[in-house]
Amino acid sequence: MSSFPPPRHISQAGRSHARGHSLAPNFTSSALPPSNVRHSSSPNAPTSEMSLRGMSRLEGQHAMDQSRFLASKARVKNLNPPVDMRLLDYVAPYDGNLMCPICRCPFVDPVILTECDHCFCRDCIRQTWSAQYNPLGPRGDCPTCRTPAKLGLRCATSKILVNILDDLVVKCPRSEEGCPAEVKRGEVQDHVNIYCGYTVVNCPSDDCELPLRRKDMPKGCLHHGVCCFECREELQISNLERHWQSSCPQRTINCEFCDVQLTFHEREQHMKDACPALSIPCPGAAFGCTSRGRREQAETHSRNCTLARLAPIFAAQKQRLDEQEAAQKAMAHKLDIFQDGFASLQSLLCDPSDGAGLTNTQATVEPPGRNHRGRSHTMGAYAGTAEPLDLDFPTSSAQWSPSASTAPSRPAPNPPGPRPRDLPEPYTGDFDLAAPAFPSHSMTQEMPYTSPLHHLLSMHESLRDEMSRISAALAEVDGRLSMQSLNENMRTREEITYLGAQLAGLSRQVHWLTSSQLQRQQPQGAGARPANGSASSNVSDMTSVEAAVNAASNGLRGSQRMANGGNGMRRGLSEEGRTKL
Amino acid sequence: MSAPLPKRIIKETERLQNEPVPGISAQPHDDNARYFDVMVEGPGGSCYEGGVFNLELFLPDDYPMCPPRIRFLTRIYHPNIDRLGRICLDVLKNNWSPALQIRTILLSIQALLGAPNPEDPLNEAVAKQWKENQSEAIETAREWTKLYAQKN
Repeated sequence: MSSFPPPRHISQAGRSHARGHSLAPNFTSSALPPSNVRHSSSPNAPTSEMSLRGMSRLEGQHAMDQSRFLASKARVKNLNPPVDMRLLDYVAPYDGNLMCPICRCPFVDPVILTECDHCFCRDCIRQTWSAQYNPLGPRGDCPTCRTPAKLGLRCATSKILVNILDDLVVKCPRSEEGCPAEVKRGEVQDHVNIYCGYTVVNCPSDDCELPLRRKDMPKGCLHHGVCCFECREELQISNLERHWQSSCPQRTINCEFCDVQLTFHEREQHMKDACPALSIPCPGAAFGCTSRGRREQAETHSRNCTLARLAPIFAAQKQRLDEQEAAQKAMAHKLDIFQDGFASLQSLLCDPSDGAGLTNTQATVEPPGRNHRGRSHTMGAYAGTAEPLDLDFPTSSAQWSPSASTAPSRPAPNPPGPRPRDLPEPYTGDFDLAAPAFPSHSMTQEMPYTSPLHHLLSMHESLRDEMSRISAALAEVDGRLSMQSLNENMRTREEITYLGAQLAGLSRQVHWLTSSQLQRQQPQGAGARPANGSASSNVSDMTSVEAAVNAASNGLRGSQRMANGGNGMRRGLSEEGRTKL
Repeated sequence: MSAPLPKRIIKETERLQNEPVPGISAQPHDDNARYFDVMVEGPGGSCYEGGVFNLELFLPDDYPMCPPRIRFLTRIYHPNIDRLGRICLDVLKNNWSPALQIRTILLSIQALLGAPNPEDPLNEAVAKQWKENQSEAIETAREWTKLYAQKN
């Protein structure tokens, strides 16, 4: 839809018409070059006295003139395209029978199809049957009655029809620019080419290439700048007339409704405020009055119309309402911002204390009890030293933590703890410090938080308490663990020394036995043959020695058991087996 | 940029507005004078009587050498009009002639509403129904007209 191809029939029509009036352009060309003639002919007079060089120079100049003339002619032709008959405005309505059914204009170069006697513009029917729409060439069906037909030599219409068409009166195609001429259609091309003052021609000045309207020719070259004396706009003289006609803001126009003469820039104001012919709505139209009328009528109406009289009050009310609404909107916006900020602050405060929240609340419910329990724990730690061998140490802080259910039921001295020297220094210090450092602590527990700051402070404080409790618990556990390992170590060391002693005793016994054996064998070796029965006595001696050894070891074991208590029993038994082996 | 409108389109538009065809109106768009909003009333005595059908009409660049493009926007139960509103009409296709105009084409469409042609169908299902049980098809067309083509 954006690229409409130039209507073929128009361009062809132009061409055909140019053919019909082929004299006209020629005439223009011969009419135009007075300057050319003047230029070339005046120096041509004294040619006879000129030298050959002068002749050639003149010829060269002539050729140059000619080319310039041709160029200007081409330019003028471009500026003045051949008249398109279909774009002409007809002065009087024309007979519908003179209208081509295809282009809906009075026929231009009409032809009659011999087969059906229907008449069309030559270009219209040609285009209809052209290759693009009909591959069979200049033949086809009649667009009106579909009779197969073709364009033949005898298709030309009678002279009468052509004359009737040429006698239709049309406006000059440059009527919009101001040409008032109304001519017969057959003469319109001549009018444009020869007479029309608004046709563009070359500037009469030799060194000016710009176009000029024919009627301005006598004024000479108009292509220099001037200033519009009305609006001070700078422009060329040749454009001045058009400027006054169509674009100068100071130009005089007639109001299209009331025939008052006014300048163009006053027009808007006039339309709005003064034009009496314009129908205007009642002032109360915005509030429901539907009356419309001319200015005087509207004035009389508004004097009687309740809505019109109330209109200013309504308007004021509306304005106030609007203002209120705007203010309310602003307030709502502010409130939103504050709420958002508050919510984010709250989330910021609540999120980290989420995990500690439970113990926190418990802590805040009965802080003195907690404090007391904390002290009792330390006391328990002191008392716990009484049973160093009890291995049932609480290992997790959960077991230890003073939850409301377990802590009170447990007797205070029961939980064993590390010795006081194992506890780190801040253990007790933190507990004691907590209260004096935040004197407002107890206050915030009793009354609801008066401000986020108080809330924050109390949160911080409880967190701090929690932290100190956890650190204390950690320290205690650490101390217990070190104590336990110490105990274990001591026991192991004792055992090792005991084992070393046993080993020494055994080695002494073995030494004693072997030496006594050796002593006995030496005298025996001396008198072996004489006493045969002494062998049996020897065996009995051996068993008695063994029994003595056993008795000695048993005695040792008994003493060990005494030293070790029940715990050493198993080890004693195994050692007994070892010694037996 | 679009070329200036051919004189013929201007004249046709003027005539459509100054001397409208009864039961047919065509209004060009403000921003595109080649695009028309068309309203066609169902012809009296047909099953489309009382309905007002909206169509869109576009004049291609080659108009009047090639036919305008027309489409029903209102749903209609008709053997020669498919679900997209395309119309099966010879003068809109091969039998186009540059001597035809917008008003003649719209009159042809109105005539097509008055005389459905199930022998040359575009909407097979409707055409079948039309051939097999004409009274029922006409009843359906009447219902559709009431349903979709009422003036609001």
